[in-house]
Amino acid sequence: MRHWMTAAVAATALIAAAAGDVWAQAGTIRVRLNSDIRSTDPGTNRDENTDAVVQHMIEGLVAFKEDATVGPMLAEKIAVSEDATTYTFTLRDGVTFHNGAKLTADDVVWAWKRYADPATKWRCAPDFDGRGLMKVTGVEAKDPRTVVFALAKPSALFLTVMARVDCGSTGIYHRDSVGPDGKWVQPIGTGPFKLGEWKRGEYVELLRNTAYAARPGRRDGYTGNKTPLVDRLRFVVIPDAAAAKAALLSGSVDLLPDTNNADAAELRKRPEVAVHETQTMSMSGILFQTKDPQVGDVRLRKAILAALDTTEIVKAVTEGEARPNASPIPTASPFHTAAHQAVPKQDLALAKKLLAEAGYKGQAIKIVATKRYPTSFDTAVLAQAMMQAAGINAEIEVLDWATMLDKYSKGDYQMMSFLYSARLDPALSFEMITGPKATQPRKVWDNPEAIAMIQDALAVGDRAKRQAIFDQLYARFQADRPMIVLYNGMETGVTRKQVKGYASFVIGVPRLWGVSIE
Amino acid sequence: MRLRGNALLGGMLMALLAAVALLATVWTPVAPLMPNLRARLHPPSPAFLLGTDEFGRDVLSRIMAGTATSTLVALLTVAFAVTAGAALGLLAGYARGWTDRALMAVNDALLAFPGILLALGLMAVIGPNKYGIVLALGLAYAPSVVRVVRATVMSVREREFVEASRSMGNSEVYTVLRHVLPNCIAPLTVLATSMFGWVVLAESALSFLGLGVPPPAPTWGNMLSAARPYMETAPWLSIAPGACIALTLLGVNLLGDALRDRLDPRMAAA
Amino acid sequence: MRAYIAKRVAMTVPTLLLVSIAVFVLMRLVPGDPAQLMLGDQGDPAQLDQLRRAMGLDRSLPVQYLIWLRNVAHGDLGRSLANDLPVLPLLVERFQVTAGIVLVAVAIAASIAVPAGLLAAWRQNSLADLAIVAGSTLLLSVPSFWFGLLLLLLFGVKLGWLPVIGYVPFVEDPWRALQYTILPVVTLALIESGVITRMARASTIEVLRLEYITHARAKGVPESGVLWRHALPNAFAPTWTLIGLILGNLLGGIAVVETVFTLPGLGRLLVDAIFARDYPVVQGCMLLAILVYVLVNLVIDLLYPLFDPRVTAE
Repeated sequence: MRHWMTAAVAATALIAAAAGDVWAQAGTIRVRLNSDIRSTDPGTNRDENTDAVVQHMIEGLVAFKEDATVGPMLAEKIAVSEDATTYTFTLRDGVTFHNGAKLTADDVVWAWKRYADPATKWRCAPDFDGRGLMKVTGVEAKDPRTVVFALAKPSALFLTVMARVDCGSTGIYHRDSVGPDGKWVQPIGTGPFKLGEWKRGEYVELLRNTAYAARPGRRDGYTGNKTPLVDRLRFVVIPDAAAAKAALLSGSVDLLPDTNNADAAELRKRPEVAVHETQTMSMSGILFQTKDPQVGDVRLRKAILAALDTTEIVKAVTEGEARPNASPIPTASPFHTAAHQAVPKQDLALAKKLLAEAGYKGQAIKIVATKRYPTSFDTAVLAQAMMQAAGINAEIEVLDWATMLDKYSKGDYQMMSFLYSARLDPALSFEMITGPKATQPRKVWDNPEAIAMIQDALAVGDRAKRQAIFDQLYARFQADRPMIVLYNGMETGVTRKQVKGYASFVIGVPRLWGVSIE
Repeated sequence: MRLRGNALLGGMLMALLAAVALLATVWTPVAPLMPNLRARLHPPSPAFLLGTDEFGRDVLSRIMAGTATSTLVALLTVAFAVTAGAALGLLAGYARGWTDRALMAVNDALLAFPGILLALGLMAVIGPNKYGIVLALGLAYAPSVVRVVRATVMSVREREFVEASRSMGNSEVYTVLRHVLPNCIAPLTVLATSMFGWVVLAESALSFLGLGVPPPAPTWGNMLSAARPYMETAPWLSIAPGACIALTLLGVNLLGDALRDRLDPRMAAA
Repeated sequence: MRAYIAKRVAMTVPTLLLVSIAVFVLMRLVPGDPAQLMLGDQGDPAQLDQLRRAMGLDRSLPVQYLIWLRNVAHGDLGRSLANDLPVLPLLVERFQVTAGIVLVAVAIAASIAVPAGLLAAWRQNSLADLAIVAGSTLLLSVPSFWFGLLLLLLFGVKLGWLPVIGYVPFVEDPWRALQYTILPVVTLALIESGVITRMARASTIEVLRLEYITHARAKGVPESGVLWRHALPNAFAPTWTLIGLILGNLLGGIAVVETVFTLPGLGRLLVDAIFARDYPVVQGCMLLAILVYVLVNLVIDLLYPLFDPRVTAE
């Protein structure tokens, strides 16, 4: 037995030594994906990984800049009419698709028609067809370089929603992206990379678009100069976080776009890698079910808040990486002003007093969490301990992500340690938690006045007026206390030292243009 | 001589396990669920004999509490699988005909059914707790009990002492319980012992895939899988539960071998 | 013979039906659905309904099951709800990965474990026996993922000898395929060899006590002849059955190893599909798993007489 073991080890060593460095290829950056992409059709069958990959191939008229405001991308300039219902986009000159065809206004109109077609199942169609935020009444090509969009009424968010990453940035693709049967084939876009090979379940490979027409200047979020610097991008599917870390350290991948906080803290100490982090606009917090017989009592909810040392929780679950933020408006937003900066302090005396007022008699209160997102679970563990210390009989229920999402959608919980994906406008941040529970059970905060105020904020364009509405909303939010906001997420990318020019981004998906490898 | 020594070692390991499990139900050095944010990932020291985890929880206390949970899960699972399996096996072996065929068809289906899916499905239906695991693993292991019992029943059904009991006017149920069942005890004891080990392993594998006894309540399996990100930086987190699993399996296997030698008539000559 | 095989295969049909219904019901009892997962925290009820309709999840369960069953009868296992790929080619591709690794691992395990078990039985209670029993019991006692992770850390990260993730099919590049699969194969082989060694040892001890061995020895057959010609064939029969059980049941067990080593195998596919509530893929995996289980057992049973003269004699 022992002989055999020695032989096996020796054989392993032999094979390995002979292999050398075959898996490190020059001019290729290998990026970890935690699961395979769902499709290459922008904004339809998608998830965050899909968005990340698709963003390298297609571009929209507008895109988010580094500060999460919207700027032109394929558009040279954008003119808005006096009454804010007509948007005139002038296209940049000299932009070509991956197949060599020149980008024209007709292509934009064609792509928009496909997006608007219910058969496409574009996830953002409801936002534009009158069911949701706004209604686009007409799109036409004035001349080969000019497209005009007409809206039924003004909206502060037309360009923001258009640029949204989960909407596929409303990217403009060539009509040959679709087969004769109307089915999606592959993206023929204008982006810095084009589709190479998609080996399902294993990797997606993108190739450099050698004819890419870059905007002048510097890289700026999803716009600016997006020149590709490597021949190949390979997005490798590695579901397991520990395996991904091992892959990075051994040089099998070059970039982990989003590492968990514990790994980031460890990797920071390793000389062969570099850690890049940025605060994103996603939001982590603890939801209450305000219709629950127990936590339906606002005094109990406030008692729980008083029982928690939120600063300490945030420090622990993010390894000190994220800043606490108690407001639904993300810290990175320009609307996150002084009124939103205070963070509640732990106050056990207050907690006890509120518990007595609420008539709490030690009933069990369950916090739902998931291990899929380690911070969700970690938050619940710490909250449970702190609640117990304050005399609240808290329990934890750990569920798989799909089950937890089901409970979230149905509002079936007492407390839930949850993560919201990024919303890029404060009105949308409030809208995401607010609404009538009768028709939308997933909404956390059911307050008719708040709903009305959010509608105002969605239509108003004036900065100061919007700020006033948001400050008022936040005051009401604190009075009603439908959830405890803890912090905005961190995007922590880790690269091998050979990778130059990478930076994490507030929107939270990796960008590989302007990045090179030695 | 060697066998006796093995049995002794196995017995001692299992006794230690039982003692720790019982002790943990009344006392652990620190509350196993209590985080201590000022003492996170401390290596073993006089204050924390086995160190602390990423929440600053005392690993020794968690191992003790985990021993109680893991042992309970394994015991309940074995009890469930053996009881259900023996009842069905007796029925199938004794009833023969269509009952037998139908039971065996279901049995075969269960045997071929990957335990993972069973576990997830049942956890979802029962709720994510240790009883879901007990039911899932119990159902996964019961079919092998059914097979063993059925085979034993078939082999003794027509023997003289069974016939004699019948001809003396004893009821079928009495005959089965008094004369057939005792013959199953030896193979069942051996099977149950190995099964105890399988369950401990299976629970850790399920925990690894995210389908085991849900945290924060500790089991060896979920402690081990939670320790994965810290394998390099805080190896004590994975060594302690890993060693517990290995030692328990070792004890169970040694004891099982000794039992097999004692109880299996074909091996008795050794 | 042909009739026997036909009967055995026909007998699996009720099992398959039973399991497919159980899987169907079980999966739908689990909360959460693929439409919700796709929309995440942003799905409003209208969007959810629309997506569920598009996925065919709005129909009643019996109808959904019958549609699926009818398609399966026509050889169509449907399309994945997660990425719209046809299920059948996906299964075939993943199965090749799993089957390759499992077969090689079990072959290695058997070729180490059977001689080891034989040796231990032959020299029962010797130091060699003690070492083999202790070794196999230890191997039996280590959780497979734990063992795999240790190997990964040692050879992949600390020493940097082997790639940590990835997979290349053997037909494309045998050399690199070997590098990618050696650690998972070694992990599986070592873990399984513990069980097989013990079985081989126990059954050999049993056989060595039988009368005909005593006869053979009495007749002056040399000890090596006793061992190889008389004991091995008989002792191998139960081991052979065990190997069959291992092969048939590895789908569940290998998911863990495939996760550790990031292999695109069937076990991983099943676990991912369960978490993604990708019903057609789960159902397809289950059908395949059961078919494999049944076929492996059939093959084992058919080959059994080769190893156990007592069975042929009957």
